[in-house]
Amino acid sequence: MRVCRVAVVEIPIGPQHPALHEPIMLRVRAEGEEVVEVAVNTGYNHRGIEKLMERNSWVRGMYLAGRVCGICNAVHTQVYVQGVEKLMGVEPPPRANYIRTIVMELERIHSHMLISAVMAEIVGFDTLFMLIMRDRERVMYLKELVTGNRVHADIHILGGVKRDIDEVRRDRILSELRVIEERLKYYRKVFEEDYTLLKRLAEVGRIRKSEALSHCLVGPTLRGSGVKSDVRFDDPYAAYSEIPFDVVVRDEGDSWARMVVRLEEALVSVGIVRYALEHLPQGPAVPKAFPRAAKVGEVVSRVEAPRGELIYHIVSTGGGNPYRVKIRTPSFLNIINTEFTYLGHRLADVPVIFSSYDPCISCTERVLVVDEKKGVRRYVSLRELARWGTT
Amino acid sequence: MGVSVIRYSPWIMHFNAGACNGCDIEVLAALTPFFDPERLGVRLAPNPRHADIILVTGALNKKAAERLRRLYEQTPSPKYVIACGACAISGGVFTDSYPVISRADRVVPVDVYVPGCPPRPEAILYGIKKLLDRVARGG
Amino acid sequence: MAELSIGGYTFREVEPRRYVVSVDPGRLRELAELIVREESYLSTISAVDLPKENAIELNYVFWSTKHRVALIVKTRVSRERPVVPTIVDIVPGALGGELEAYDLLGIVFEGNTRLRRGFLVPEDLVSKGIYPLRKDAGV
Repeated sequence: MRVCRVAVVEIPIGPQHPALHEPIMLRVRAEGEEVVEVAVNTGYNHRGIEKLMERNSWVRGMYLAGRVCGICNAVHTQVYVQGVEKLMGVEPPPRANYIRTIVMELERIHSHMLISAVMAEIVGFDTLFMLIMRDRERVMYLKELVTGNRVHADIHILGGVKRDIDEVRRDRILSELRVIEERLKYYRKVFEEDYTLLKRLAEVGRIRKSEALSHCLVGPTLRGSGVKSDVRFDDPYAAYSEIPFDVVVRDEGDSWARMVVRLEEALVSVGIVRYALEHLPQGPAVPKAFPRAAKVGEVVSRVEAPRGELIYHIVSTGGGNPYRVKIRTPSFLNIINTEFTYLGHRLADVPVIFSSYDPCISCTERVLVVDEKKGVRRYVSLRELARWGTT
Repeated sequence: MGVSVIRYSPWIMHFNAGACNGCDIEVLAALTPFFDPERLGVRLAPNPRHADIILVTGALNKKAAERLRRLYEQTPSPKYVIACGACAISGGVFTDSYPVISRADRVVPVDVYVPGCPPRPEAILYGIKKLLDRVARGG
Repeated sequence: MAELSIGGYTFREVEPRRYVVSVDPGRLRELAELIVREESYLSTISAVDLPKENAIELNYVFWSTKHRVALIVKTRVSRERPVVPTIVDIVPGALGGELEAYDLLGIVFEGNTRLRRGFLVPEDLVSKGIYPLRKDAGV
């Protein structure tokens, strides 16, 4: 019998995972504890949205775009709507742009809190997970206050928004933001100073600046490696050209830097929402009617989703349907192109590195461990795997 | 004994079968302290072999549906299935798309349907409670 | 309209911060090498099926962090023989885009050893040899 000394670990993140829009199975090959090869496996969450878009009208496409991803639905709708508006020749009123910005930033706050919570859970810090999830409900409440929905905002409409913000709502959001800001500052301090988190995150999954660029990584992953690239800043859309804000960059390039970038960004987002509310332009925000047909042409539309650059390529041949909509989500790049970052790390670091790219929540996924030396095959959860090195 | 044995501490396994994550973050919210599911004895099971209830979200991608069938077989009886969200019930906006089966009940028997896009955490807990009440009645 | 010249290729501005150039497939690798030197990353490879012109148009969208503009490289291949050289060895991040374009539209990236069907598309379509995003796929 051939004796093989490598253990093969299979992580079916697609199926058993409250997954991303690009659910992926990581096939990890490890020699003892050391990871020697990682390959990704996809296709568990393919829903044929690009094909569906071609069949549906421009307006229906808006709802489909939001349902590409539930966590960052407002940015998906924004990138689609701003592209279609360009093709239709409509310009949203300034007040609508501000309201869109507020919704997108609230979404960024809750998304960054979610991944911080998940990361805390992955490294075994359950109390922090529960605390962040509790405070995240405040953001969900604000989202519901503005849009009427907790998750799928669906506030965009071609040429404006569906709901306006009145004085009462505005004051309520401002007072709630003060509490959220306090909590976010506290969590940032925990991530910066806590011994457990530093032990598990620092120096793990380091990506150099040149590697981040050549492997086409985007969002906090790119900014965590010292590249100043933020679509909101470089290629402003909605109301971002009028709102002052900082682009958070860190040079360390490890999992820790990516998490701290996210928490800093959430704080920046609080500032953006506050500024937008205080400087909300007067005038209409809800359009009375909107066009149904687009001109011939194509547009490359970009926005900064919580996970990075989100890009749609929309082709129109005129009429009531898109000819082609190409969707490229940030996690698609950040997950597929980071196979190299796991190499040389220990098995227990794989979930940490994977989560640091913000793939989405991980709570029920399992890992298939095949130890060929012992001939053992067993399932362990990702959480269990994360604790291998520590117990 | 019989099926009523699970009604005090039903463990739930969440299975994403090609969902957009909207339902999934609401399931996660429903299972964390703000909504406190543990007062119903509900906990997230780490493994299908520990689970009593399978909570399915998503429009049933064909690859994922195979996984669901296998997970259902691995779960010990008595077992129940909750279809959570518009996609798991009818396919939602993804109905008739080429990679999806569109309905959870085409793959496994479903006991409770929770509508919504996505359902609120309260609605998910209400669905679980409904199922537990039915189990208590012996159905 | 403004123009941007990179290594002898002239990019034309079609809308703010979007610069386009059309080239032959044979020029792709050379151009990719030039663009990468401008501190760029590849955002996406978008393929559009044009059955009326018997062609598939490929749009390579790069974002240059140095110039802070999108550099879009357009190229065309025939529908019967959709072959372009791979750029994975120049831009490792092109892997996902190439795998996706192969699986959904059947574009062969010569030199990419990891191309395979079933990356996203379900098994039943793969066995029939259908590329779902082609206009005549009938799915």
